[in-house]
Amino acid sequence: EANMMNLSRSVALISLFLLPLLSFSFSVDNPTDRRVLVLLDDLSLKSSHSIFFSTLKSRGFDLDFKLADDSKLALQRYGQYLYDGLIIFAPSTERFGGALDSKSIADFVDSGRDLILSADTSASDLIRGIALECGVDFDEDSSAMVIDHSSFSLSDGDHTLIAADDLVKSDVILGKTKIEAPVLFRGVAHSLNPTNNLVLKVLSASPSAYSANPSSKLSSPPQLTGSAISLVSVMQARNNARVVISGSLQLFSDRLFRSGVQKAGSPNKYEKSGNEQFATELSKWVFHERGHLKAGSLVHHRVGETDEPAIYRIKDDLEFSVEILEWSGRSWEPYVADDLQVQFYMMSPYVLKTLSTDKKGMFHTSFKVPDVYGVFQFKVEYEKLGYTTLSLSKQIPVRPYRHNEYERFIPTAYPYYGACFTTMAGFFVFSFVYLYHK
Amino acid sequence: MLAVKVSTVLGSKTAALNVKLAQALSSGSKGSVINNQELKFDADSATYFLDSFPENFDVGKYTFVFEILLDESAQEKLYITEAQTKIPIAATGAISIENAEIAVLDGDVGSVESQKKLDLTKDGAVSLSANHLQKLRLSYQLNTPLGHVFKPHQAFLKLKHESQVEHIFLVKTSGKKSELVLDFLGLVEKLYYLSGKYEIQLTIGDASMENSLLSNIGHIELDLPERPEKAAQPPVQPTDPYSRYGPKAEISHIFRVPEKLPAKQLSLVFLGLIVLPFIAFLIGLTRLGVNIKSFPSSVGAATSALLFHGGIGAVLNIKALSLLGVFLSFVGHSTLSHLASASNKLKSA
Repeated sequence: EANMMNLSRSVALISLFLLPLLSFSFSVDNPTDRRVLVLLDDLSLKSSHSIFFSTLKSRGFDLDFKLADDSKLALQRYGQYLYDGLIIFAPSTERFGGALDSKSIADFVDSGRDLILSADTSASDLIRGIALECGVDFDEDSSAMVIDHSSFSLSDGDHTLIAADDLVKSDVILGKTKIEAPVLFRGVAHSLNPTNNLVLKVLSASPSAYSANPSSKLSSPPQLTGSAISLVSVMQARNNARVVISGSLQLFSDRLFRSGVQKAGSPNKYEKSGNEQFATELSKWVFHERGHLKAGSLVHHRVGETDEPAIYRIKDDLEFSVEILEWSGRSWEPYVADDLQVQFYMMSPYVLKTLSTDKKGMFHTSFKVPDVYGVFQFKVEYEKLGYTTLSLSKQIPVRPYRHNEYERFIPTAYPYYGACFTTMAGFFVFSFVYLYHK
Repeated sequence: MLAVKVSTVLGSKTAALNVKLAQALSSGSKGSVINNQELKFDADSATYFLDSFPENFDVGKYTFVFEILLDESAQEKLYITEAQTKIPIAATGAISIENAEIAVLDGDVGSVESQKKLDLTKDGAVSLSANHLQKLRLSYQLNTPLGHVFKPHQAFLKLKHESQVEHIFLVKTSGKKSELVLDFLGLVEKLYYLSGKYEIQLTIGDASMENSLLSNIGHIELDLPERPEKAAQPPVQPTDPYSRYGPKAEISHIFRVPEKLPAKQLSLVFLGLIVLPFIAFLIGLTRLGVNIKSFPSSVGAATSALLFHGGIGAVLNIKALSLLGVFLSFVGHSTLSHLASASNKLKSA
C-alpha cells in the first residue's frame, strides 16, 4: 500500500513538472513554434552563422544549440515532444548521438513539427536519407557541386558560387517584398521526385547549371542539369508540418549574408546579397509565422431562416458561410482570398461554388439544393501554394418532396376536374328530376 | 595584373621582403610558363605586383608557386612559415568559337543531307528533320586567345522533347575541333521511342572561359519507329506547381426539367368542351319539360327527401364517406319506400 502511495505521488510530481513544458509548445491557438533544437556538427557555426540565429532569437524563438553527436540528444521525453522545430546544420554527421536517428526525425515531422535541413559541399548518407524521406534526392556523386558558368558570382573564380535568382513566385513563402539581389549559393544539387505533390522548388538553378566535380573532367553526362536542379526546396506534409531543405549551409552564413554580389553577365551590382532576406522570410514560413489558416464555424441555413435545419428538402434555397482566419505570427487575422470554394458533395460534387468574402474573414455563398436526395456533405477543400491545407466537411441529409408539397391544381388538369364535377352535378340534378317528375 | 599581399600571421605589415613567382604550373601541360619572376613592390598599396605576363601565358587553370625570401636588409628575427606557397589560379579569357555547324548525315555512308552554319553567340531558329536511320553531327572549334585548342569543362548538347523529357550528350574535343555525332539508330531506345519535335540546346562553359554560353540552336523533327511493348516508358515529368493549386471549375446542378405541359389556354378550352355536355343536359331537361311536381308535401317526407338529396350532394363531396353512407341508406330507404307506397296508392286507387 505504501508503494502505491509513493507511485501515485511521483506520477503527480512528474505531471506537475510536465505542465510548464506543455504550455511552452505550439498549440492549435498559437501555431508558431517556440522551442527549436539546433544541431551543429561544429560549434563554430554558432558564430559563423550568428546573424541567422540572432534574427530567430529576436522573433521570440528559444534556440537550443547542441552538437550533432551529443550523447544526451532527445526529441521526446515521457512521450511528449520537447521541441517544436528542428534545425539540422550538420552536413557531415554520419550518426546522431543520443536518441536521435533518421526514424525519430521522420516521426518528429509526422507529429506536425517543422524542420530545416541543410547539406553543404559534403552531405553524409544520414542527411541524404532524411532528405529522401521528404522527397528530395541529393546528387549521388559525393564530390559533385553545383557549377554554373553563366550564373555565378563574379567574386568567385571557380564558378561554384552561384548567384541564383530563380525564386518561386509566392508571397506567402518568400514575403511580400521582392528579393532584388541574387541569392548566393555554394553546395550540392538536389532534384525533386516528380510524382511528389508535396515538395516545391523555392530556389532553382539556371538552365546552364550542372552538378559535377569541378576539379575533374566529365566523362559522362551529369545526372542533374539545368532548372531540374533545385538549390533550396520546401515540403509541406499533409499534416501541415513544414520542411526546408537546402543544398548549401554557406547560404545561411554571415559571410554570404553580408557579401555584395554581381552576377556574371549582368551590369547590376548589389551591395548586399539576397541571402539574409531569403533566409529570414523562409524561416518565417517554415515555423508557421505565415500562411497558417484556421477555420472557424461552418454555418448553413435556409434563406430567410437563421437556425441550421436537420434536413433539407430538394430545391430549397440555402445560404452557406464559413469563417477562415490566418495567423499573422502574433494573432489571428481575417483571411482574404477570392479562390475559396465549397462543394455540395455526395460521392461526387453536385454543386461547386466560389465563396465571396466580406474581407472580415467570413466567406459566404448561396445556391439551390439539387433535386437528388441522399446524404450530402458541405466540403471545403482548400489547397494554395504555401498555405496550410484546409479540409472541412459537414454532413446534411436531403429529402424529396412530401406528398403534400407537390403542385396542386395544375391548369392542365382543369378539363379532368371539369369532367368530374359536371358528372357529380349532373347526377345531383338527375336524382331530383327523376324522382319528382310527373 | 597580379597583386600579392604578404602579412604576418596576425595580419600586420611585414618588413621588406623579396617575393618571387617561382613557377606557374598549368593543369594541362607540363613545365612552367613563368619561371622565377620577381614581383615589384608598390609602397602605396603595400602589395607586390606583376604587371605583365609572358606572351605564352594562356587561358586555363594554373597553380602559382610563390617563394618569399627575406631581404638582405631585414632583421634576423623574422621567420617565414612556408618556403613555397601554392595557390590555384584560373586565368580567364574570351574563347573564340569558330566554324560551328550542325548537320544531318545519311546512314552509313555519312553523306550530308542538310547542313546549317551556326552563330552560337545568340539563339537560332534552325529547323532540321531526321529519321532513325540518320545521324546528327554538331561541330565547332574552340580556341584560346593564343590560338590553342580549348577543352571546356562543360560542353553539353541537350535534346528536349515536347513532353519535357530531356537527354544530354557530351561534346568531346579531340585534336583541333569539338564534335558530337548522334547515331539515332543506336539511340532509339535511350530516346524512349518518342518521335516528334526536339529542341536543341548547346551549353559550353568553363571556369577560365569569360564568355560561357547557352544557345538554343533550334529544333529537330525526329521520326523514330513505334515503341515495342517491352520497351521502357519515358520518365514521369513533374507537374507545374502553379497549376497544381488553382481553383476548380464551378459546377451548378442541372435540375430535371419538368415535362412540358400544354398551354393554359388549351386546358381551359378543353374545360369548356367538357362542361358543354352538362349544359346541354340541363337545356335538354328543360326542353323535355321536366318538373319536380311530385315532391312530397308532408313535412316528414319532405325533410327526409331533402336530407336524402343533401346526403347525395355530401357524398359527391367525398367527405365523411362511411358515416354518410350509413346515414344515407336509412334516409334513402325511408324516402323511396314512401314514394313507392305513394305510387302504389295511385296504382291501386
